[in-house]
Formats: sequence, C-alpha cells, structure tokens
Amino acid sequence: MNVIETKNISKLYKQADQEIRALDNVTINFKQGEFTAIVGPSGSGKTTFLNSIGGLDSPTKGQVLIDNKDITKLNSNQLIDFRLTNIGFVFQSYNLIPVLTAKENVEFIMLMQGASKSKRDKRALELLEAVGLKEQLNRRPNQLSGGQQQRVAVARALASKPKFILADEPTANLDSSSTANLLDIMSRLNEEERMTFIFSTHDQRVIDRANRIITLEDGKILSDINVK
Amino acid sequence: MLIKIAWRNVWRNKRRSFITIAAIFIAVFLAILMRSLQLGMYENMIKNVVGSFSGYVQIHSKGYWEDKNINNSFEVSESVLNSINKIEGVSNIIKRVQTGVLSSNNKLSKFLYVTGIEQEAEEKLTDWNKRLIDGTLLDDNGQSIIVAKGVAKYYDAKVGDSLIFIGQGYHGMQAVGIYPIQGVIDMKNPNLNNMSVFMSLKSAQDFVSAKNRITNLVIDKEQYFNEVKIAEKVKSKIDIQSRDVMTWKEMTPQLDQLIEADNAGGILIIIILYMIVGFGIFGTVLMMTQERLYEFGVLISIGMKKSKLMIILIYETIFLTFVGVLVGFVISWPIVNYFHYNPLKLFGAAADQLESAGFEPIIPFMNTYDIPLVHGFIIILISLITCIYPIIIISKLKPIKAMNR
Ligand SMILES: Nc1ncnc2c1ncn2[C@@H]1O[C@H](COP(=O)(O)OP(=O)(O)OP(=O)(O)O)[C@@H](O)[C@H]1O
Ligand SMILES: [Mg+2]
Repeated sequence: MNVIETKNISKLYKQADQEIRALDNVTINFKQGEFTAIVGPSGSGKTTFLNSIGGLDSPTKGQVLIDNKDITKLNSNQLIDFRLTNIGFVFQSYNLIPVLTAKENVEFIMLMQGASKSKRDKRALELLEAVGLKEQLNRRPNQLSGGQQQRVAVARALASKPKFILADEPTANLDSSSTANLLDIMSRLNEEERMTFIFSTHDQRVIDRANRIITLEDGKILSDINVK
Repeated sequence: MLIKIAWRNVWRNKRRSFITIAAIFIAVFLAILMRSLQLGMYENMIKNVVGSFSGYVQIHSKGYWEDKNINNSFEVSESVLNSINKIEGVSNIIKRVQTGVLSSNNKLSKFLYVTGIEQEAEEKLTDWNKRLIDGTLLDDNGQSIIVAKGVAKYYDAKVGDSLIFIGQGYHGMQAVGIYPIQGVIDMKNPNLNNMSVFMSLKSAQDFVSAKNRITNLVIDKEQYFNEVKIAEKVKSKIDIQSRDVMTWKEMTPQLDQLIEADNAGGILIIIILYMIVGFGIFGTVLMMTQERLYEFGVLISIGMKKSKLMIILIYETIFLTFVGVLVGFVISWPIVNYFHYNPLKLFGAAADQLESAGFEPIIPFMNTYDIPLVHGFIIILISLITCIYPIIIISKLKPIKAMNR
C-alpha cells in the first residue's frame, strides 16, 4: 500500500529575471515501512521535496496524495491538523521546545492531540527508553548534547504514531558516533514499529543504512534504487 | 501545559521580564497612590462642606433657593417623612429652619444665619460633640443658642453672654429675641464659622412665628449610595410642583466644578503614565514575538494550532502584567491604608489656601477596593491590547519562511 504518492509535482521559484525549478515533474510513491534516503547535490530540491510531501510547502503544480487524499487542496489550518496527526518531523537543528524537558517535549504532540496524561506518560517513557535517554528525561534541551537532542526529536516525532517520519538532514550537525547511534535507533524503530522514514542526507554512512535511495538533480529524479 | 510553557517562557529572559514587571509595578503603584490621594481629597472636601452640614440632598419650597426667605418655608407631614425614610440609602432626615438676622450685643452688630435644629438628628450628620469647643449642646425645649467660633471671636463672647437678634418673621411678623449663649462650636469651615448660630428648631420656629414650618429638609445618605438616585426617588414621593429637590452638586456647584477640573488633570497624568507603560509592554511583547519567529515556525510545523500559540503569547503577557499588578497592589495597599487612617497634613501656602476655601488642610487617602481593581484591570486590558501584535504575526506566519531565517 502506498502511504505517499506524488503526481507530477513541480515547484517554481520566480526570482528577479529567472525561474528556478526546485522540483520538476516529480512522480513517486512511498510504501509503508520503507527506510528511504533522498540524496543529491546542494540545491537539487531535497528540502523542497520533503516540505511538499510534509504539507509545509505547496507545490506549484501536481498532487500530493497521502492515503489517497490530496493535501495540496487543504488550507493552512487544515494542513496544521494534517501534520499533527500524520507526520513526524525531525529537523537538522533538532528544534526541541527549549523550555520543556526531554519528556515534556516527547509528550507535547500527544498533548496537542488531546491524549490523556497516563497515555502520554507511558508512551513518552517507552520512547525515551527506546532512544536510550531514560536517565535524561527531566533535562531541558540545553542540558543535552546535540546527539541526545536529536534522539529526543526522533522520540517526539514518533510519539503520536504518525504515518511517516520526515527528516531533513537529521545527522548534519552530529558527530560520527552520535550519527551511528541515531541510525541504529531509527532503523530499529523502522523494523520494530514498521515506521516509514524518509530523510535527506549528504552523509555516506546514512546512505549505506537506507533500503531505498532516491537521487535528485535539478529537481528531477535521477535514480531510485531499492537496496534490500 | 500551555500555561506551563508560557510561565517558563516569561523567565527565559529574566532581566527583561523583571524590567517589564518593574515598569508595570511602578505604573500601578503610582496610579493607585495618585487616585487614592485625589479621590480621598475630594471626599474630604465634600465631607467638609456637604457631609458635615448641607447634606447630600435637600428639599426646599419652590423659590427658596433663589430667595432664602422665611416666607418660602413649608410644612412637612409625617407620612412624607416616613416615605422618604424608606428609600434605600437614606440614613437620616433633618428638619431645619434657617433665617438671616441682624445680631448685636452692646457694642457690635453683625449679619448672621440662624439655624433651628433638632439636636439629636443633627448629630448623626455632624459630629457636634467633637466640634463643641465650649459649653453644652442644645436641648429641644431650650431657649439658648450655640454660636460658631468665628462669631464668638467677633463678639468676644463667652458662654453665658447674650446676643440680640432682629429679623423678619413669617408673613411680615416681627422677629426679635434675646438669646443666651450656651456653647461655642467649630464648624471646620471658615464661612460657616463666621456666620452660624444654632438654636432648637422649636425656638427658631417661635422666633419667626412659623409654627411647624421648616425651610430645609436635609437628607443624608449612607456611604456608597448615589445621591442623584436618591434625589430621583425623593422626587417621586413629594409634590414637585411646590418643592425643589437639590443634590449637593446643585447646591454648591463651585465645589463640584473645582473637583471636576482637578480630577480631569489627574486623569490626564494617569493616561500619560499608562501610555508610557503601554509602549513599554508593547516593546517587550514585540521582542518576545520577533526573537521567537523561528520557534513559532517549528511549533506550527509539528502541528501546533496557531490559536494555541496565540494563547501562549497572551498568557505570557498576562503573567508579566499580573505579577507587576499584584506587586503594585501589595505594596500600595498598606501605604494607602496608612494615609487613610493617618491623613496627610498639609502646611504652608497649600494649607492656607485650602483652609480659606473652607476645607480642612488634610488628605485622608481613599481606601476603597475599586481603585486598585480599576487600575489593575486597565493595565491588564492594555497588555491584552498589545497582544494584538503577536496575534497578527502568528496568524500570518508561514512555517517554512519563519524557519528559513
Ligand atoms: N524560498 C526560495 N526562494 C527562491 N528559491 C528557492 C527557495 N527555496 C529554495 N529555492 C531554490 O530551490 C532549489 C532547491 O532548493 P532546496 O533547498 O530544495 O535544495 P536542497 O537539495 O535541500 O539543498 P541542500 O542540500 O543545500 O539543503 C535551489 O536552487 C534553491 O536555491
Ligand atoms: Mg536542504
């Protein structure tokens, strides 16, 4: 079953005299449980693509179907709700809520969804344990290392049981051991929870762990390889 | 959780929050003190003139106010008195006969106002016991008089001396009498002190040959009741074709105007104060918003509703304001109360000026709850208005734009 389908999406940026095609007629599907790396040179359209399927940015043309529903038709408030229930985000610069502890950050999205306290507690502890941060649950982001913060961010993204997780260069700010650690966690969650991960990266070690590698260039798909 | 986030956000920039809170505190503190002082001063002025003698509402015969003549007197029935007494907020009704006389002793003469009073009812309005400097109070059947201290000084008279009064009686009757002084009173008001003489209502009615007639019916009210409303109700109980019902503002318009003018000045200062503080709060709210646009972008990206984000910002602003307002309350309240019970005593030129205008040169601060509540409410309202800015910013916010900065 396809979780995500894009049909001929293009994104144009008009700048002064020239037109930039950040995405150029991209048609692609993602299935439940895939662990996909999107690669390509800087400016090839990776971020633009992730933003389009994440409902953060709307393509100039084409459709983005999530569970057969075209999200390009939604207004900005509907998109916020859509993101809340369907997508987990992991950012390059972690972006945890600075005034909340690790545990509260993980609970935050569940809280927005109106989950009960006991449910939030249970899930947050379970996820923090899964990312190896049970001991640090009461620390605020500024008391955690970059790697630890990113693991909290992964736990946060997973907390609401989204349909898929989008991560734009999640390891770009991490050293190699934190990167390895994060990848272990992500691929384990991918296997155990059948969670769909789509991430962009420049990092060869991350690419090596993916089971599908999509290469973009000038907003077009250059290659799409399954490595099982 | 939203409240928790907001509260913690307030303390992210401790120094700025402290400065903002301090500014709000100072504004609330100054506003409460200023208003307590001003309103207390007015209340005292009104008390001096109105509460202690003229009363808040009076009934006269039509024409009396323009021509204060015994011929413009009237009779009042028990049933009318009873119905006025039943009006909510009426605490006391006093009958008076007032008439101008030429007074003299052997050497001097002077124009005076003689007021016939019922001592017992009068005492509920004016604290006669405290004001009596010498002698004893009147009794209802006595034929003696109490003179105000200015009059006693003019005649250099003591208790036991007598004054002769010549005046006009009812319907052209002669009014003449000789009256021994049984007491001297301080009316706490230079005009009243120089002009006033009191005798029992009965002997005043005898003096002007107007049995059972009065010139003024004074209606005193309980605190916090509005005299205008009481006057309206009084009007419905009596024949307004032949009677005037006047409030103190109508009887002493100069005092009312003086207070209004001074009050307008005070309010202007407070408006300026609030504008300054309003911009201070706005500056903080502006920074709180601008420096966190990226963060707002993240929160909206991961699915936080904009309305919730707005609520957090509103909470933050209210917290800041509330702490400042609360500190302002806590610090100003004891000060206000201290000066309520220990009024500020004026001296020098200001005191002379007040005294010559007929007021005690003291300022007891007003300590009613509505002053802090009103000013706390205004500040909170101002801070809510400043929240319009983040609300607009958030409603327009595009998450990827905010995060691309
Ligand atoms: N807001 C924008 N306005 C104009 N052009 C933009 C905008 N955002 C992206 N672009 C352009 O679109 C193209 C694709 O950008 P995108 O950020 O998707 O690339 P990327 O693959 O994520 O690059 P990187 O690896 O450096 O993150 C680039 O040429 C970029 O300059
Ligand atoms: Mg990018």
